[in-house]
Amino acid sequence: MNLIIGGAYQGKRDFARNTLNIPQGEMFTCTDETIDFSKACIDRLEDYVLACVQKGIDPLEQLKAQDLRDKTIICMDMFCGVVPIDAQMRLWRHSTGLVCQYLAKRADRVYRIVCGLEQRLK
Amino acid sequence: MIVFITGGAKNGKSSFAQDLAVKLARGGKRYYIATMIPCDEEDRERIRRHIADRDGLGFETVECGRDIGSCLLQAEPQGSFLLDSVTALLMNELYPDPATWALDPTAPERCEKGLLELCGRVANLVLVSDYIYSDAAKYDAQTETFRKGLARLDRAIARIADTVIEVSAGNLILLKGVLPQ
Repeated sequence: MNLIIGGAYQGKRDFARNTLNIPQGEMFTCTDETIDFSKACIDRLEDYVLACVQKGIDPLEQLKAQDLRDKTIICMDMFCGVVPIDAQMRLWRHSTGLVCQYLAKRADRVYRIVCGLEQRLK
Repeated sequence: MIVFITGGAKNGKSSFAQDLAVKLARGGKRYYIATMIPCDEEDRERIRRHIADRDGLGFETVECGRDIGSCLLQAEPQGSFLLDSVTALLMNELYPDPATWALDPTAPERCEKGLLELCGRVANLVLVSDYIYSDAAKYDAQTETFRKGLARLDRAIARIADTVIEVSAGNLILLKGVLPQ
């Protein structure tokens, strides 16, 4: 598994496409609480987590049930700001953090993208 | 040599960038491109503090809050330049009229062009930007335009820069190239 993390607009998707050679058709972009696990790459995992949190689903339990060994997963690093006042946004941040830690532990490679540049963390 | 410096607020980016610009000048001309356009007394106080910080480093101050290429009307391109910050420049260009605060959506593209041209024309340039992309918030459209625009500038500069450094609590994380000696 590849895990790509990084702040908003830093070039995570471009890195998956251009450096990890993920074809456009293999890229799934999360918009709600469903994921097409037939695709090689899952982008915007944070939006999947947000939808889960809003609907009372535990995203970590959902992901634990999947075989992610051949996947590339992209998730926004949203962990350096002020604690959100809104309880749901707090839960979003918390759940996304737990998911990232779970994925990073199992990933073969973890990349952090900053200003379009990659750092290999694992 | 083009050096791009990013990182969170209050981590020592500006002090490091100042010292680096002086070092790159190797005794030659050094220019501080002042990007802040003061709106109130708080801004003016901050500018006074920045000027005091630079005291003794030998910088010539070039006021240039917009149209960044125009700083060369008052400076020699073979000098060493410090642009602090890309963030302030984009803000000035995004909101050209302080009376209305109307957002100019063409600003990021124009800034990118101006900055890349400047990078191509000067001997040494150190650029400082702000890393504002890792918080758990859903912002309004104007704020997202600003964040997206700044990220566009950061990435464009990082792509052509010789060296990219993230400053964290005064420590340096080398993201690209080598540390200038």
